[in-house]
This record gives sequence, structure tokens and C-alpha cells, in this order.
Amino acid sequence: MVRKGLIDRRTGLFLVVLFAVIVLIPLGNLLLAPGTAGHVPGYLLPLLGKYLCFALLAVSLDLVWGYAGILSLGHGAFFALGGYAMGMHLMREIGDRGVYANPVLPDFMVFLSYEKLPWYWHGFDMFWFACLMVLFVPGLLAFVFGWFAFRSRVTGVYLSIITQALTYALMLAFYRNEMGLGGNNGLTDFRDVLGFSLSDDSTRIALFVLSGLALAFGIILGRFITGSKFGMVLVGVRDAESRTRFLGYRVEHYKLFVFTVSAMLAGLAGALYVPQVGIINPGEFSPANSIEIVIWVALGGRCTLVGAALGALIVAAAKSWLTANFPEAWLFVLGAAFVLVTIFLPRGVIGLLDGLKPGGRHRHALPQAAPEPAE
Amino acid sequence: MRRLLPLLTLLCLAFGPLPALSQSLEALIRQLPEGSFSDRAEVVAAIAATLDERAVGVLEALGEGDLHQRKADGAILKVTGRGSKARAFDPLTGEELGPVPARSTTAIKVNNALRRAVRSGIATLTLMHRDPTRRLAAANAAFQSADPDQLEALGAALAAEQDASVAEAIAQAQAAALLASDADPALRVEAIETVRARGGRDALAVLTPLRASEVPLIAEAAAAAVAEIERSQAMWARAQNVWFGLSLGSVLLLAAVGLGITFGVMGVINMAHGELIMLGAYTTFVTQELIRGHAPGLFDWSLAIAAPLAFLVAGGIGVAMERGIVRHLYGRPLETLLATWGVSLILQQTVRSVFGPTNREVGNPSWMSGAFQLGEMTVTLNRLTIILFALVVFAGLLVLLRRTPFGLRMRAVTQNRPMAAEMGIRTGWIDAMTFGLGAGVAGLAGVALSQIDNVSPNLGQSYIIDSFLVVVFGGAGNLWGTFAAAFSLGIVNKFLEPVAGAVLAKILVLVFIILFIQKRPRGLFPQRGRAVEA
Amino acid sequence: MIGTALAGALAGLPAFAQEEPIKVGILHSLSGTMAISETTLKDVMLMLIEEQNAKGGVLGRPLEAVVVDPASDWPRFAELARELIDGQEVDVVFGCWTSVSRKSVLPVFEELNSILFYPVQYEGQESQRNVFYTGAAPNQQAIPAVDYLMDEEGVERWVLAGTDYVYPRTTNQILEAYLKAKGVAAEDIMINYTPFGHSDWQTIVSDIAAFGSTGKKTAVVSTINGDANVPFYKELGNQGISAEDIPVVAFSVGEEELAGLDTAPLVGHLAAWNYFMSVDTPENDEFITAWHEFIGSEDRVTNDPMEAHYIGFNMWVEAVEAAGTTDPDAVIDAMVGVAVPNLTGGISSMGANHHITKPVLVGEIRDDGQFDVVWETSGLVLGDEWSDHLPESADMIADWRAPLACGNFNVATGQCGGVTN
Repeated sequence: MVRKGLIDRRTGLFLVVLFAVIVLIPLGNLLLAPGTAGHVPGYLLPLLGKYLCFALLAVSLDLVWGYAGILSLGHGAFFALGGYAMGMHLMREIGDRGVYANPVLPDFMVFLSYEKLPWYWHGFDMFWFACLMVLFVPGLLAFVFGWFAFRSRVTGVYLSIITQALTYALMLAFYRNEMGLGGNNGLTDFRDVLGFSLSDDSTRIALFVLSGLALAFGIILGRFITGSKFGMVLVGVRDAESRTRFLGYRVEHYKLFVFTVSAMLAGLAGALYVPQVGIINPGEFSPANSIEIVIWVALGGRCTLVGAALGALIVAAAKSWLTANFPEAWLFVLGAAFVLVTIFLPRGVIGLLDGLKPGGRHRHALPQAAPEPAE
Repeated sequence: MRRLLPLLTLLCLAFGPLPALSQSLEALIRQLPEGSFSDRAEVVAAIAATLDERAVGVLEALGEGDLHQRKADGAILKVTGRGSKARAFDPLTGEELGPVPARSTTAIKVNNALRRAVRSGIATLTLMHRDPTRRLAAANAAFQSADPDQLEALGAALAAEQDASVAEAIAQAQAAALLASDADPALRVEAIETVRARGGRDALAVLTPLRASEVPLIAEAAAAAVAEIERSQAMWARAQNVWFGLSLGSVLLLAAVGLGITFGVMGVINMAHGELIMLGAYTTFVTQELIRGHAPGLFDWSLAIAAPLAFLVAGGIGVAMERGIVRHLYGRPLETLLATWGVSLILQQTVRSVFGPTNREVGNPSWMSGAFQLGEMTVTLNRLTIILFALVVFAGLLVLLRRTPFGLRMRAVTQNRPMAAEMGIRTGWIDAMTFGLGAGVAGLAGVALSQIDNVSPNLGQSYIIDSFLVVVFGGAGNLWGTFAAAFSLGIVNKFLEPVAGAVLAKILVLVFIILFIQKRPRGLFPQRGRAVEA
Repeated sequence: MIGTALAGALAGLPAFAQEEPIKVGILHSLSGTMAISETTLKDVMLMLIEEQNAKGGVLGRPLEAVVVDPASDWPRFAELARELIDGQEVDVVFGCWTSVSRKSVLPVFEELNSILFYPVQYEGQESQRNVFYTGAAPNQQAIPAVDYLMDEEGVERWVLAGTDYVYPRTTNQILEAYLKAKGVAAEDIMINYTPFGHSDWQTIVSDIAAFGSTGKKTAVVSTINGDANVPFYKELGNQGISAEDIPVVAFSVGEEELAGLDTAPLVGHLAAWNYFMSVDTPENDEFITAWHEFIGSEDRVTNDPMEAHYIGFNMWVEAVEAAGTTDPDAVIDAMVGVAVPNLTGGISSMGANHHITKPVLVGEIRDDGQFDVVWETSGLVLGDEWSDHLPESADMIADWRAPLACGNFNVATGQCGGVTN
């Protein structure tokens, strides 16, 4: 059912640039001496890798918001769950190299006088199991949550608010030390993954390349889903849910599928994020983080996937640069950017780029400024 | 002080064993700065034992930390005011001795143990005071200290007492003191009964240790009395929980009701709502600062003055937001979320730049401080005021929306905009005023919250999510829904808290709301029609 | 990168013109939830650097402050630490407040071999080669405070109330073990945890009042974190619980936190620190005057973490002068044994476990938001990184001097923990 244009010009261009970056940067770092123009300094590489994870997270949100009209204000929760699953594996990998030299229990458990490993930590010593959980846990949560929410036809603002409540509740729960997941400190002090030391440049490069590939995968998967007949139905759901339902489509099934896939992509992004930043803690569940994801997508231009990725890259890079250089001003700049973009660039940066050349408007584009219909 | 200590110890040794009861009040007072805290507590007891009425003022000043020693001659002074305003008084006569040059005196340090001795001493001294309220306070203090040494004074006071309620309190204090002594067991069993009749936590504090008494008779009686008091406490605990719930609910109501207008009625997701609350709190801070600086006498009125100002400040910013930003986004409700989130970041950072990142002090007016007992229940005055304030604000809003021409127009615009415009209503103006009203109410909430929470740039963040949940749970577009949601969530939370702990209680409430919305996607009281559909 | 805030005095000192500056990284949150506490520490560092430049800098070179804002975002701490060390090439970093931010940057300092000065009281159970802990370990705050309450106030019943994170959890665990060893029965200890920023204290305060009404003297040991304290104390005051009845001793409440509330109802409640603004010494007077002048306000208070930075900064200056270089390895070696005056009239020195010696002061809150010192240890106490009161760490010590050079040496097994480096 894949139609012509699985990869349109815009997506193609983005993917080409992305591939160029994930090939050239490692090449430059391997071939050129540190300090020369083509060599990316050590502190920048994990940062760039982190941006790519954010971009994948934004793509996952665009999939549900842009195409299915589900504005999730809790997508950070799926990201964080994926991150925790990977973090648990990395904790187990530390083994007896923790400060208490306990071969089984991570340091914080020794610290809090745990006798034995809680049941949900079992299996995480195996990499394949952790990888499975990275997709399974966020997917399951999304499936269960969506199963109830979509069947009872919770839509629009109500859905947004309860997704926010979901991530807020998870944040409070993960802050509790009784959860056995490190409480406020979260999981940290990772050493290696699959035997490769996390502080080696080569491991960093590998993670960076993997993040790039994951982003490409996310975009192509998204294009595949939205370009199919299934995607057309989704857009129908977004623009006129009741009408689509009356045409005989099981609207909730469509939504549930795309919501679950999106959550798994977010989990994947989280799993790649954790080894690169070296810590996962309940702060990732904070509702403000999830709102920021929405803002990446809006700023880049929703319903384009590539736009979402672009938005994430722009905002994350701007935030890094501003907090390092104008610490007092970054909230002003960020705040003003959000206001101006929503008012003057409703279709985001991509919309701006498209506006420059005729005929660039997208097939699935949003109905401009039309109020969404009532049931 | 640290360097003084060895010196003081030396002095004490030089003066020989401390205090003999026969010394005069003046001599005793001169010993107040000397020795360890426990030595000085004995001096305080000796001062009280003089039963000299002038000693009350001295002990009060000591407890307040107002007693100073003059460095030049070691004279003891009562000093009020600070810096250039400091003035000295004779602690015994109250006669004014003029201004105090800076650094010419050292304050006599007190700690908790010494303050307890002072409290007990004042009780002994004021048991025979002419003011019945002082006598009652003295009797209650004597009850708490339960000191067998006071038995004689209590007996004398009881014999002289005319006022029935004071007499009862003195009798109870006498019983408590008796229980602490080794009097005849039969007398003490009788005393247990007197204390039990008093009830409350003070009585528990007196009776609980007696359960371990060596005299079986006393131990039994005490155990029975404790059990009975605990039963009644448990009953009152439920009432107390309802009260806590109402109080939490009133805070939620105040925080959410403004959102009930901007979000519920207009469909605008105003993420800057929390920051408008914060601005209300900062308005209170600025008002209080101005009053402290220019008209300290008005301090008790500061909240009454701040409330309309906060309404105007927050409301003004609300109107500006509506005209400048939100107006362009009608029909794109979810995008108002993004723009207003941007506004919230800007407001937060502005406040942080202007007032600094640290907490600001907002004082409680004197009429809002403290608490009173309702049976076994403690009712704090600030919470009571906030509940009343929330109810008044809510009632005011209802009247405004239902009974005024503005309310009529507002409802007309939200229900059918084109028709309202046809009728000659300036819909743009109504939108701005409605949004301003919601924002202004947030400002009012800020005034109330400044009394119980931190006034910091982060204030708003902690209320925004709860506010949205309250509005959604109650049913957007229905103020009564918001009202019911706020109070029911408050009470449920407070009943869960003792069982599950504060964090788990909150998580359970959130999960409950998530499940509830699945069951009833439009909240407790769904709005009919098409008002909020996004 | 342009991200360098030059300390003001730099321009006025032509003598430095030829010398390359020594860069000092400052890693404190200037926005987000922790800005409330950390902004002051950034300011105090800028002041200390300015003063040092006026004195001629270090090794004849001027100091240059590099300020970044991790925005209370823990992964950002690690990122910015990396950027400071690798990108800006700073020679030392002063920063972090919360445990999680310290945990987040630890691997970075270890990997890139740089130096961090951490100025806040913390839970202990850690000693890292690249970190110098200038705040109090639990034995420099919690245990002496409990001793005071037991001996002076005769407290027999204890409420351990804290925010639910590592510092209170560990401190309370240590205290519980300590109290039980002192013969306090389990039913006389009540432990309660609340979330960050908890604002509705009605139920808990009323529970405390009930717990305290058994006739045994009761005290609250509070490890409640920053923001939650104001509503907690307001509720205590309003429910009429005075310090004479149930005193509260806090380890996270200092002058800065009290500046946000009306302290009249709190008179007599206690705090245990290693420094109080009210301490009357010439060094402290000078420090306060300089601070008021630097910040441009007489109303600003000083507090314990500020003193920690003061001590840490002076120690670093001494060590660099002694080593004759800013090379991290040389400075780390030179740090152990360095002694500088603290602000309370003593001389603090750096121990082999990278913790410092400090006096422990117990203060009672006055009605002007300051503290009266009512008790203090007779000498200075060295921070105990591995608590002796917890079974899993009783056998562990840290000694970073040459032959041992280990942060978690197990004296029972004779092994250096599990850290491979």
C-alpha cells in the first residue's frame, strides 16, 4: 500500500544531510588530529548525539500529534521509561566495580540497605532483554493507556491534560525511593555497554552514529506509516473523527496503533540518550519536559516529521548555546521564540522554507487555522 | 560568647554556689547573665519564687530576648528596638532610661530550656494576677509544666479564685502537679480523673507516662483514661481531616477558578496561569514592603489593599496577553498552549531578574496568625481566612457571570459568537475582559497563596498542573464543577495522606482522575453544547 | 566561545597584561528550581575571584571566571562540566548543590581529570579523587545536633522528617542507627518523607503534635529541602507548636531560607551548621562587609555553603601556589593537608579523604532571622566520608595520599573497593 513519495524531496534532503553528518564526523575524528578544523571536540560529540535523540523523540510525537491529532503532553514519560530500561542494564553492567563492590546490587541499593535485587530488576543484566524492555515498557504503557482513552473517546484538550497527569504521576512515583530505581538521583555512574567503555571516543562515535541511524529509521518508518492507506485514515481521524467513524473505520484501533508505535520510538530515543548523557533521573518525567517536546514539533512544523526533527535540533542547540553564553537571558529568548513562532509561523520553520518556493505545500498539511469540528 | 564562657565560669566560681532563695529580686536579676543555661534556669525559678509582681516584666523581657547587660557596669536593662531606635528601660520599674548607644550592651542569651523555665516562672507569678485571662494562661502553662513545686502556689490561687472557668483550669493544673509528685495514691487516682475530664493532647502528655506507674491502681486508671482520650481524639481526627481537606480544596479552588474561566469558558489553554498567580503574590510582597516603609500602622490591612492591586496587575497582564497574543490564536486552542508557555517563561525570568531568585518574605497580618481550638480540632486562622476568601471570590464570580450585563454578554459570546456580534456586542472587547477576569482571579489566588507558600519565581509552576486537573475533573466550562472538584479532591487527598503518605496519596489521586476521565470524558459536570471542543 | 564573564577587577590591573589568565569554572544553576539557592554561590565566587585578582591573582596570573547555567537540569550539569573542562579548558570548577547534580558530573571529572569543589552539606558515603567536599558530612552536622538535643534538652522521642531523596534518607538511616545505639526504642522514632516542594503540611504537622503528646520530650530532626521549609515552618507557627514544646532542628535551613519568612513564630527552633552569619569574628565581619559591598545590598545574608566556597577557594589558591602549577594532579596532591582560616575563628584543613575539618555549631533562630549559637563542638571535626554507623560502610575509609590512593578502602578485606582506575 505504499504510495509514490515514501521519501519526498524534503525528507530526502534531510536524510542525505543526516547521513553525511554521521559518516563525516566519525571519519573526521578518526582521521584528523584533535584540535584541527574537521575534528569535533570530545565534549561536543555526546551533545550532538543527544540532539539526535531529541530529534527522534520529536518525530515520534509528530507521528501522533501531526497525523492523528493526539496532542500528548506526556511523551517525555515514554522517553524516560526507555531511558530507565537502558539505565537499568547499564547499572547491572557496572557489576562489582561500584564503590561498595557488590557484584549484584547497584550502589544505591547497598546504600539503602536492600537485601536482594527487586524482582523487576531481574533480566536486565542481559543486553537483549534490556533492549526488548526499551520498546516493550513504553509500548505497553501506551497500549494500556490508549486502549482505555481512545475507547472512551477522550479527545482534544482532555486527552492532553490526562497525558500530562500520567507523566506527572510517574514522576512522583519515580522520585520515591521505595520504587527501587534510585529515587531523585536516578541511575548514574555508568561504565560500559557490551564491554565498550562509555568514556572511549570510539564508543561515543558508535553511539552517535546509532542515534543518527535511529533517527533516520524513525523518519522512514513514519513516512511509511503515514504514506500508506493507514496514514490517510489517520489524517481523516485528525480532521474529522466522527465522520471517519461513521464511514466504518474503527477509529480507536488506528489511534491505538500509531500511539503505541510512537511510544516505542520515544523509548528507543530514551535508550540511546541515557548512555550518552550518563544519567537518567525522574526529572525526565517532568511535565515541562514534555511540553518542550511539543514546542520542538510546533517550531519545526508539525505533520512533516522532518520538521519535527529540525525543530528539536534548533531548540536544543539554541538552549545549549544560550545557557552557556547568556545564562540570564535564555528564558527570555526561548519564551519570545515560542510566542512569535506560534503567531507568525503556524506551520513552523518548515512552513517558512516551503513558503519560499512555490508548490511546496504538503499533501497532508494541516487545514489552516480551521477550528476542529465538534462531534 | 565562646570566648566569654571560660571567663564566666571563672566568675561563677568566684561568687560561690548559685542562687540562694533568700536573695533579693535585684540581686537575682544581676545573676541572670551568668553561668550555664541550667544554672540560669534555677535563677529564673528563684526569681519566680519571690512572688514579686515586678518580676513578671523581667521574665517576659528575658523570654523575648530583650534583656541586655550594659558592658560598662554590668547593669541589666530591658532594650526595645534595634540600631539607632534602641531604647533602654529599667526592667523592674519600666522607667525609661534613654537611647542605647550601639554595641554598648550585650543581649542575654536564652535557649529553649531557659524559655521553658521562664514560661513556668511567669505562670507561678501570674496565678493571682487581676486579669482573668492572664490567670487562665498561667493555669494552662502550669498544667503543661506539671511541677510539684508549684503545688502550694496553685493551692493558694485556687482558694482565692472567683472565676469558675479559671478555677477549673487551676484545679486541673493542681491535679497535673499532684500526679508528678509522690502524693497518696488515692489522691493521685482522683487527680487522673480531673485530668481526663480536661482531655486533649496536654492531658495525654500528662497521663501517658503514668501507665508505667509502679502503683497498679494508678497505672490502671491512667491506662483507662488514656484510652478514653485517644478514642475521642480519633473521632476528632476525622473532623480534623475534613477540615484539612477543605483547606486544601480552597487552595485548589482559588488556583483553578481563574483557569475555569480562561480554559473552561474560553477554551484557551493558558500555561501562564501559574505565573499570574505568582504575580499576585509578588504584588502582595511589594504592597507590604511599601506599607512597612511608609505606613507600618496599616500592616494589618496589607492584604485587603494588596488584593485589588493584585487583581489589577494580573488582570492587566491578562488583557495584554489576550490582545497581543491569544487573539491571534482563536480556533487553534492547542497552539495557545505553546504561546502562553512562552509567556510563562518570560514572566518567570522577569520576576527572577527584578526580585532575585530567592524567596521573599510576606508577613501574616496579626489577625491571620495563630489558631483556636474547636473541640479537639486545631483551626488555624490563616487557613480559615483562605477558605472564606475562596468562597467569597467564587460567589463574586458567580454573581458577575450570572447577574450582570457583562456576564450576560460574556455568556452570549462564548455560546454563539456570530450571533452575539450581530446583536451589537463588541466580541473582541468581551474576550479581552473575560481573559482579564480569569487572570485577575489568578492574581487574587496569589495574594492568598503568599500566606502559606513560598513567594519565589517558581511559585506558579507548582500549581499549574493541579489547576488544570481540577478544571478537567470538574468539567470545563462549569464553575460549579470546578468548585466540587476542588473540594472533593482536597478531601480525598487528605483522607489518603495518613494512610498512604503524602506522595502516594497524590499519585493515587492522579491515577483516580485519569481513570475517571476515561469513564466520563467530560468531567463531573459536563458542559452541554459545543463550548470546549479542541 | 564567548562564554566568559570576566571578573571585574581584571581590567584595572595592568600588571597582568602579559599573563595568560587561569580559568575558574562556576557551575551553579541560575534558573530553574535550584536557582533560589545556587545563584548566591555564583555571586560569592565572583566576589572571591575579584578579591584574589586585587591581591595579585595566583602564580602572578589573573583569574578569570567562566560562568555557565546548568538550569537545574541534571544532564546539563554533566554536559556543561564537560564543556568547561574540555571546551573552555578551565583549571578548576566550583559548583553543584544537589546530590544528583554532583553524581551527574562525577564521571566527567574523573574521566577528564579535573577538580571540583562541592560546597554543600551532603549524605557522605562517597570520596572521589577529583572532588573536594567542603560542605559537612553527616558527622559534622547531624550527630552533634542530636547529641545536643539529647543532652541539653533531654529529648527522648524523635521525629525524623525529610524530603524524599538521598541526603535525608541516608542521614536518617545514620541517625536511626545512632539513636538506637543510644537506647532509644523503635516506637520513639517516627520517620516521615515528603516530596520536593511539598506545600501542604497540615496533616504532618498535626501528626507531629500528636506524636509529641505522650509526656516524653519530643524533637523534630528536619532534613526537609529548601522550598518546602517555608510552608512547613508557617504551619508549625500557625498550629501553635513552639520551640519550647517541640523543637525542630534543621540541617538545610540557614539564613538564606529564613530570609523568606517571618521568623517571629520560629524563635527557638534550631539549626546545625558549621557557620552562622551571626558568629562574631574579625574574619566574618570582613567577609560580610565585602559581600554587602559586592552585592550592593545590606539586606543580603551570608550562609554556610558560602563559607564552604570561601574555604575551598582559599585552599585551592594555597594548593596552586604550593604546587606552582594548575596541573590537576599536582594540585590534587598539594591539596591534602592545606590549612586556611575559616570564618568562625578556626583553621580548617583538608583531610586525606578530601573532606575538611570544621566546627559544628548549633544555633537557635532569633526573631531577626539570624541564629544564636547555643552550643558548639570543642574543636574542629573532620568530615567522615564513610559513616561508622551504617553496617555496609563501617569498614571503609578513604585516603588519597600516595601509597594507598583509594576512595573506598575496605579495612576488613584490605582491598580498595571496586573502582578500577
